[in-house]
Amino acid sequence: MKRIWVVIVNIIIMISMVTFVVVYSNFEAEESKRTQIEHFENTTITMEHVTENYLEGEQRICDVWAHYINSENLTIDDAISFIRISHVLPNASAHVVFRDTLTGLSTRARSTDASDFNVSYKALDFLNDVNWIHEIGTSINISRAYTNPVNGDQSIAFCNFIKVKEDAASELKDAILLRVLPITELKEKWVFPQEEFENAELSIIDADGDYIIKGNSYKNSSFFEFYKSYNKIDPTKASEFFKNITSSTGSFMMSNSRGEECILAFTPFEATGDWTLLSLMPSRYLEAKTENWLLIGIVSTGLFVLFVFDLVIMLYFNKQLKVTAKEAKSASKAKTDFLSTMSHDIRTPMNAIIGLTTITEKNLDDKKSVSENLRKISLASNHLLTLINDILDISKVESGKVNLVPQTFSIVETVENLMNLSQPMIKEKNIEFDFHINRMEKEYLHADQLRLNQIYINILSNAIKYTEPNGKVTVDMKEEESEKEGCVKLTYIVSDTGIGMSKEFMANMYQPFSRQTDSRVNSIQGTGLGLAITKQMVDLMEGTIECQSEQGVGTTFTVVLDIPVADHQRAEMKLNEMDVLIVDDDEILLETALDTLESLGLRAEPAHGGLEALGMIKHREETGKNYDIVILDLKMPDLDGIETIKRIRSEVKSNVPILLISAYSWSDVEEQAKEAGVNGFLSKPLFRSTLYNKINEVLGTEIESMEPENDYSDLQGLNILVAEDNEINWEIISTLLSMYGITSERAENGRVVVDKMKEAKEGHYTLIFMDIQMPEMNGLDATRTIRKLDNVWAASIPIIAMTADAFAENIAECLNAGMNGHIAKPIDIKLVIKEIRRIREESKK
Amino acid sequence: MRKLNFIAISVLSVALLASCGGNDAKEFKPALNVDTKCNIKVVGEYSNFEALEAEFDKFNVYYPHVTLTYEKLDDYNNTIGTVLESDNKPNIFFSYTWMMGNDKYNNVVSHMEDLSDAKLKLDLNCLRQSLVNKTAQGNVLMIPVFSRTYGTLVNNNLFKKENLKIPSTWSELLSVSSSFKEKGYKSPMMGYSLKTSSCLMNTVAYPAFVASLANNPDALAKANSLDPSAGEYMREALTKVKQLVDNGVVNLEECDKIEDNYTKVILRFFEGDVPMMICAGDTVSGTKKRESQSEAYTKNPFEYSYIPIPLTEEGGYFMDSPSIEFSVNKDCKDLDMTNEFMRFLVSKSELNAMASLKRLVTPTKELTFDPVYAPFAKVPSSRTFSPEVLGIKDQLTVQIRNAAFKVGKGQMTIDEAVNSYGTIE
Repeated sequence: MKRIWVVIVNIIIMISMVTFVVVYSNFEAEESKRTQIEHFENTTITMEHVTENYLEGEQRICDVWAHYINSENLTIDDAISFIRISHVLPNASAHVVFRDTLTGLSTRARSTDASDFNVSYKALDFLNDVNWIHEIGTSINISRAYTNPVNGDQSIAFCNFIKVKEDAASELKDAILLRVLPITELKEKWVFPQEEFENAELSIIDADGDYIIKGNSYKNSSFFEFYKSYNKIDPTKASEFFKNITSSTGSFMMSNSRGEECILAFTPFEATGDWTLLSLMPSRYLEAKTENWLLIGIVSTGLFVLFVFDLVIMLYFNKQLKVTAKEAKSASKAKTDFLSTMSHDIRTPMNAIIGLTTITEKNLDDKKSVSENLRKISLASNHLLTLINDILDISKVESGKVNLVPQTFSIVETVENLMNLSQPMIKEKNIEFDFHINRMEKEYLHADQLRLNQIYINILSNAIKYTEPNGKVTVDMKEEESEKEGCVKLTYIVSDTGIGMSKEFMANMYQPFSRQTDSRVNSIQGTGLGLAITKQMVDLMEGTIECQSEQGVGTTFTVVLDIPVADHQRAEMKLNEMDVLIVDDDEILLETALDTLESLGLRAEPAHGGLEALGMIKHREETGKNYDIVILDLKMPDLDGIETIKRIRSEVKSNVPILLISAYSWSDVEEQAKEAGVNGFLSKPLFRSTLYNKINEVLGTEIESMEPENDYSDLQGLNILVAEDNEINWEIISTLLSMYGITSERAENGRVVVDKMKEAKEGHYTLIFMDIQMPEMNGLDATRTIRKLDNVWAASIPIIAMTADAFAENIAECLNAGMNGHIAKPIDIKLVIKEIRRIREESKK
Repeated sequence: MRKLNFIAISVLSVALLASCGGNDAKEFKPALNVDTKCNIKVVGEYSNFEALEAEFDKFNVYYPHVTLTYEKLDDYNNTIGTVLESDNKPNIFFSYTWMMGNDKYNNVVSHMEDLSDAKLKLDLNCLRQSLVNKTAQGNVLMIPVFSRTYGTLVNNNLFKKENLKIPSTWSELLSVSSSFKEKGYKSPMMGYSLKTSSCLMNTVAYPAFVASLANNPDALAKANSLDPSAGEYMREALTKVKQLVDNGVVNLEECDKIEDNYTKVILRFFEGDVPMMICAGDTVSGTKKRESQSEAYTKNPFEYSYIPIPLTEEGGYFMDSPSIEFSVNKDCKDLDMTNEFMRFLVSKSELNAMASLKRLVTPTKELTFDPVYAPFAKVPSSRTFSPEVLGIKDQLTVQIRNAAFKVGKGQMTIDEAVNSYGTIE
């Protein structure tokens, strides 16, 4: 869905919500208003009852007076005197007027003349026709509001017919008794009791709409005229409309003189016949508490904020999704490319293996060709294995299942291995290669050697791969104190003058399947997994990896790892004091070598080239203080190592031992060097132990070898039980073992292994190589069964897994089942021998 | 929301008030604290005074907490004195020129505030000066609110229908009336004729009698003092009455069917078959409201106007006389706010607005603003008289009224009436 539609839908929903709230709020307001109107109507009815009770009460007083006056045959003076005595209200008065003259007396004097009690109703029309006055006690006989002729107050009068004499001598005459109450007093009492209706105003109208009592907001002398003045009404329906007002109870909306909408409630008086009570109040007072603009405001604001928030989040997620999609697309493309590459990369060595095998089969008699082909097959196989290992590793990395398996190892061996592995490519590309070490004190470390090798090899092989022929690769390795207890900080820096990397590529270079796109590297073998695996491994080992690169200039990778030091270290390496001359044009090497030699207890002097060395040796000879040993670099600018040896041997009499050092493979120069008179070879970098061992070897000093290299006599007579269901694999392992004088017996599955162990005499087997996935009984179950055997020898026999299940969890599973070690297929016989020796050593302990 | 609407309407009202005032009107600016709370009561003899109540609402825009009420007093002329002495004194009350110098109303007059006091800042200049009655000391105790005049309502549609011209001279009046009679109209002119008060005969005779006295101070003095010799000055006026009756312009038999001198007169006119209805301006004031009350008029509405009765060959008279006047009770509560209300009311815009609503003649100098009364603005000053300015006294008006009624009714001859001046009851 396009973004605009999402926005439109959101706006529609928002408007709908606000509309709903407004409509609902209005509905609630209308409901509330309707309820209040109903309440207002009911209150008006209540006011009618209250008013009626009040009027009835006042009428009753008038009735009592009339009864008394009539029963006593009083004169008008006496009647007035009587009322004056019984009157208690300060503002009320009473008038008695004869019906024929409409004149009489008042209980109160005129305001203009304190002695004048006369009163006349001649000018007032409402006593001309007195049909509205009924017999005493039968109804409320109340006049319209009128001007009290005695004091000018607007008043109403409760009336009764009475008979009084003009004087004592005269006859009784018809008269009217008026109990007169000022309207102001009535208005003060006549208010709505409820606070919410304090703005309501009351009026009483008669059947013609004329006000009996008029509230301030009511205009005109007639309510009907007032209504017509400010409201539209169909003249033909006006009569019916007004009749309805004066004959029923209800309410309606109308405009007052200010144009305000008002609610008018009306209800007729029951006791007074044609009177109607009106209550008028601006409807804004009814609605004041019903409209909830605050709610609408909050909902609107809330929805708007939500909308904006959602929009921002949506845009953010869209952006993320785009990035993710791009990455996924990129990853997908990378995987496609990877598969394509895999196909190519796997097929290439496979092609070499198959092709060379075919060639070898047809040239079995040509030993040189066979040897060369087998070497190439081995190389292709190793490459294929590396490829498979990388794929497996990245698979594990991606599933987060990589576990470290620490073990004690020699960093010297690791570096040697590193050198050995990189030599062929260095040689092939004629790359200038230097490997510097600096104070590598601790040889034996405790870490996952396999992973460390992976890190170092990956970085170095990348450097070599991406450096063009005649370029330069330099490795610096140094040992420093670590902040972590029991560890050394190992810094590994590989610099090259290769093609370098772009910043864009560097941003994603640790992502799997990423390879720098460059016409120069398309021909370079690689999976695009190396750096990803390396980064994961470094992270797993809690180290750091940094990279500085510039396209066309070169790349430098720096890996820093804190690696625990192994408990067991080589005994202190000290040599007898001797004079050593170290010769190299590499200043750094000179410095580190001098430092290392001095730490071995030797007196070392540096020379920066062959000629300088020759001069120094000659000078020593002249002074009779020959060097005890000379160490020469093979490649030097003025006079290379072999030439220098030749000059030394020809120009100097003393037969000083000479060691030749090189960062390259010896194979090409070995013969030449020996002819020149070299006494031994040293591989860069010059580890302390390497120097110690080689110097002792050259000087003929016996030293304890950590590991015999070409002496396999210790393996003679060993008999190994090999559990292997695969015929070819069995053939390979048995043949390889036999090459080292080791005999082996085959068990086709776990069951057979267990049976053989049950039947074997003690010591018949030295150890068991156990395949894991086998028919009938797998290696794990077989191991568990063996460990439970009653025969102590059999139950404790060393068992080493030899399986293609090479993941850490597989190793852990094997060890948990009771095995003593693990060798991954395809097997490296050197590793197998090493493992056999380790097991034997442990058995001895 | 409602409150906002109310405020908006109030502001709009103020704006409209300002705009209605025109260039001459000065915008009213409150001089007192607008939050003042008090009551102002106006008393009078009008049953209705919606025009004044409308002014109350306008005043409340400036002073929302002032409660203004109008109260009708029964038997006003007799009770006003009592009311002014009561505990519940009015702030403003109706007053009439005839109260001045009348002993019975000395007490009433004594309560009247001098409204010409410069401190009150009342715009007396907006009034027609002929309507402003001053005391010997030059004080203005009454402010005319409406003006009264005498004339006849004219059904313009009937004149158009019968193709007749609205008369502007006495001859034309007789001629037109004759034409109407020929066309079957029983009484081309009608009016109230049952009693003397507001009877058509007086409406015809009074202006003519005043005109005969206007330029003759001696005669006026005699007439005011009810000197029988002044009766001769009634002759022309009475002759006009008799001519109208005798010529059948006024059919008294038809006129006597009109039961009262106000509503029934109007409703009869709205029946639509009366070309001319003689009445005072006070009656015209009730026409607008009663248009809707008349079934005949509602069914067949027509255009009508109010013109001076053309009693001479030059035209009719304009008797420019105050209808009602307002006096301020100087002894009332909240006198300051009462004067503030008077300052608000006594302006061309407010008095015109009130006159328009009440449909009476405005007391301001802008007589033409109401088209109904516009014809009176055309009456030249030579035929415009102010009884108050001339000094016409109440007893004079009673004599001409009684005489005209009796002559018209045939109860007295013109000679008898002329000879009986001063004693006609």
